[in-house]
Amino acid sequence: MYPTNRAGRSTARSPQEAPRRKRIKAKVGLAEKPQVVEIEVPDRELPVWDLDAKLAVVGKRVPRIEGAEKVTGQAKYALDYTPRDLPGLLYGKILRSSFAHARVEKIDASKAQTLPGVKAVILFDKGQGFDPSAILAVMSDGPTSTPPDRVVIFEGEEIAAVAAESEQLAEDALRLIEVKFRRLPHVVDHEEARQPNAPLVHRGTQSNVVAGEGQTRGDLEKGFKEAEVVIERTLRVPVLLHNSPECHVAVAKWEGKKLTVWASTQGVNGFRDDLSKTFKMDKADVRVITQHMGGGFGSKFGMQSFGAIATALAQKAGAPVKLAYDRHEENLAAGNRPDATMWVRLGAKKDGTLTALHCRSYGTAGFGRDASVTPMMAIVYKCPNIQLEDSDVYTHAGQGMPMRAPGFPQGSFAIESVMDELAAELKMDPLELRRKNFVDQPLLALDKMYALGAEKIGWSRRNELGPKTNSPIKHGLGMGTAVWPNYCGPPAVCRVTISADGSVEAAMAVQDIGTGTRTVVAMVAAEELGVPVEFVKVNIGDTSLELIAPDSGGSVTALSISPAVRAAAADAKQQLFKKVAPALKAQPGELLCEGGKIFARGKPAKSLTWQQATARLGATPIAGRGERLPNVEAYSLPLWGAQFAEVEVDTETGQVRVLRMVAVHEAGRALNPAMFESQVYGGVMMGVGYALLERRTMDKPEGRVINPNLEDYKMISSEELPEIETVIVEPITPMNNIGGKGLGEPPTVPTAAAIANAVAHALGMRIYELPLSPDRILDALEARKEA
Amino acid sequence: MSKPKKPNGNHRVSRRKFLKTAGIVGEAVTAGLLVKPQVRVKAQPSPKGAPLGPGRVEIALDINNQKRVLNVEPRVTLLEALREHLGLTGTKRICDHGACSACTVLVDGRATCSCMTLAVDVQGKKVTTIEGLAQGKTLHPLQKAFIEHDALQCGFCTPGMILSLKALLDKHPRATPRQVKAAVAGNYCRCGALPNILKAAEAVAKT
Repeated sequence: MYPTNRAGRSTARSPQEAPRRKRIKAKVGLAEKPQVVEIEVPDRELPVWDLDAKLAVVGKRVPRIEGAEKVTGQAKYALDYTPRDLPGLLYGKILRSSFAHARVEKIDASKAQTLPGVKAVILFDKGQGFDPSAILAVMSDGPTSTPPDRVVIFEGEEIAAVAAESEQLAEDALRLIEVKFRRLPHVVDHEEARQPNAPLVHRGTQSNVVAGEGQTRGDLEKGFKEAEVVIERTLRVPVLLHNSPECHVAVAKWEGKKLTVWASTQGVNGFRDDLSKTFKMDKADVRVITQHMGGGFGSKFGMQSFGAIATALAQKAGAPVKLAYDRHEENLAAGNRPDATMWVRLGAKKDGTLTALHCRSYGTAGFGRDASVTPMMAIVYKCPNIQLEDSDVYTHAGQGMPMRAPGFPQGSFAIESVMDELAAELKMDPLELRRKNFVDQPLLALDKMYALGAEKIGWSRRNELGPKTNSPIKHGLGMGTAVWPNYCGPPAVCRVTISADGSVEAAMAVQDIGTGTRTVVAMVAAEELGVPVEFVKVNIGDTSLELIAPDSGGSVTALSISPAVRAAAADAKQQLFKKVAPALKAQPGELLCEGGKIFARGKPAKSLTWQQATARLGATPIAGRGERLPNVEAYSLPLWGAQFAEVEVDTETGQVRVLRMVAVHEAGRALNPAMFESQVYGGVMMGVGYALLERRTMDKPEGRVINPNLEDYKMISSEELPEIETVIVEPITPMNNIGGKGLGEPPTVPTAAAIANAVAHALGMRIYELPLSPDRILDALEARKEA
Repeated sequence: MSKPKKPNGNHRVSRRKFLKTAGIVGEAVTAGLLVKPQVRVKAQPSPKGAPLGPGRVEIALDINNQKRVLNVEPRVTLLEALREHLGLTGTKRICDHGACSACTVLVDGRATCSCMTLAVDVQGKKVTTIEGLAQGKTLHPLQKAFIEHDALQCGFCTPGMILSLKALLDKHPRATPRQVKAAVAGNYCRCGALPNILKAAEAVAKT
């Protein structure tokens, strides 16, 4: 129901690790400061694309290979399946609770069932809270259920579903379903839900508060004794809504015992596994397809309600069903980023060396779990003595789900704010304080990142800015550090096929969620084969390929799959070399392929073009297979970055404008600088929204969401867009054969913190709660005036 | 279903919704369901024509210079007609509320939210969708520029962005960066394609 792993994927190792290993050398790190390291890898592992590797495709600004499809409207998303594709397609709709907490005393769908054009009605009339993985047990055919044994625990919870010939007809049918609710006391605020007398969200529990695992290191008491300065603060962040452009949508079609689902998902494999478990089917009988999808940002792992209900409706109706949430449903029931109240105590010596960090945090993921924010604090700066305690607080609200770097932007806002206050207390430059507390990590390029960022933002001007100016508009600079653990790794399997006509197909059951995965597959395959990227067709997004790949989350995709793609291409290439070696009067081991030409090392004059070579294959194409081998553990290290913000704050209106963001990031090897920049833009834009605009607002007495739409839930538009400068730093890692790490999450980790620090610098005072909306700024200025 | 009627000219029908009022009895509450904010609007016959619906009517549309005849309920939006009835799914639905501009099409050259427009209301007007921009295999300059500048990620907001910008550039071929910014201010993007979208449009405006 909820991904247990923060990265939203399995961390299981591949079962067949090669028993034989070899030691190889690689020149890694930064180009200007190369280091030769010796690593141990399985015998069949390829040499690392290190600093000496000459790459023709990887590292270039290759345009997305699906670009033409997307700009012409031809790219097919799950939402785009219509009766033209699937004759007889019906439209599903869900009846949802209007109340945060209520007993359902009656459901009567008899009028809905007899409405012409309505083909299926199902009721969810059992249980407390709707669990999609138990849909077969909590569902009944209706049309009436008296009395149902049902309690709903949030506004938007599923009560019934229909399938009809059009979407409006399905909505008409929902309006004909009569439901009688008896309201029960609710609580939607995590501070109130923590109180001993608060209404309980889950039956059988004693409290809404669930302590997380937490983390300790060293001796906290000793650490605070050693401290010469201690800062203690409480900070708050709001609940955010993912608002993926494409709402959650699944199109389910049964053919006998076989099920095909086109889904907007971040993981076709996870989705397929959930379906097979829920509907008690063999995995081989379930096929999940995602060719293109309109964003997920963490909210689209697994089958969830939309997958389960679409499938159940299609089964009942005996026809394919498209179930697409509308924006309102999306924002009630399809995930959110948990909020947090974070109490932080930080101790340091006078020279800035951190000695102790204690954080206690409470947050709500609605009726779900995992509002933790402290894992970021444990790894971003070096501190020998820490105690980190996270608690989830259940509330009567939609379930939290991972949202781009789950927990990290929250933790970043807290720790970076406190670090800046510590710096002020110590009369140190904030950047200097951070330099004092680098973690120990081989190949860490953070010093270079800070230097580049500081130079580009003009950090040296910092002392001239701030509250002192006479103008009502104040300028400030701030920064924050990005960090994200490295979750890349096996399993991932790829197949590269070369046909007699010269065409190449790279296939694996991975999905492109908009990050450019399809293009990365083509680039890596083309690089290893030595052919132009246009030669490679990519076949992904379909579990029936039976080529396992990770779900896309936690910055894992590119560097989990690329080493497998490369291995598959290398395998195919060696098979081709065997076939054509006699024609070139050479041994297969001597052959190379560069720029679409095959020749023996040192003898480029005698060559075969790619087409001449592949023409010798005849009717049987070559199929190469490659597997992702485990990481070199010593280098399986976090992804880093640093962001710098320049803001202006109008002290008369309370309006904050982010003028400029400098975002310095690394991904080990940058596979495609253009797509790298795009990832960074996305992270920064989301972070600007977090800092200044976004918050889900609850009507506490009614227990309802006030702004589950795009008109009242404010996000960044072109008008608020700052100038964003992306700087790529490329410390090559020997962790895998590509030399890369990953990038998805880091760009959104420190943005809000950097902006908040810049605003605090501009005003000469800090606001401890996001978003930094005009009302909060004016209130704070007013309070300062009165004080 | 009543016999299809041929509407003539300038009628006005709104998307019909049937509001079910919540009745409160003591502590217990009977509610229809959770629906989008509801507005009760009466179908208003125009001076020229009778009210349409609720049954299907035949309508003729001019989409990408092709005449398309449809038999749909008058409450069907242009967005739904394009996507579900004509299979022109390049026009995207993000909010269905006129708040995201993803469903932007050109109606007589004007950028229009197709989710806020009834299909029956664009009869006699020229509708251009994203599928109508390329000439055969030759992409429109904006489409080319989007690919070159990596001005798309998930691609879901892309068609609406391109059409909002086309409406601008058709009118102001040398639009300024300020005008470009304003043209897509209502277009929502979550992935972060926006900086490159502005660059792509500015590049086209300069040529």
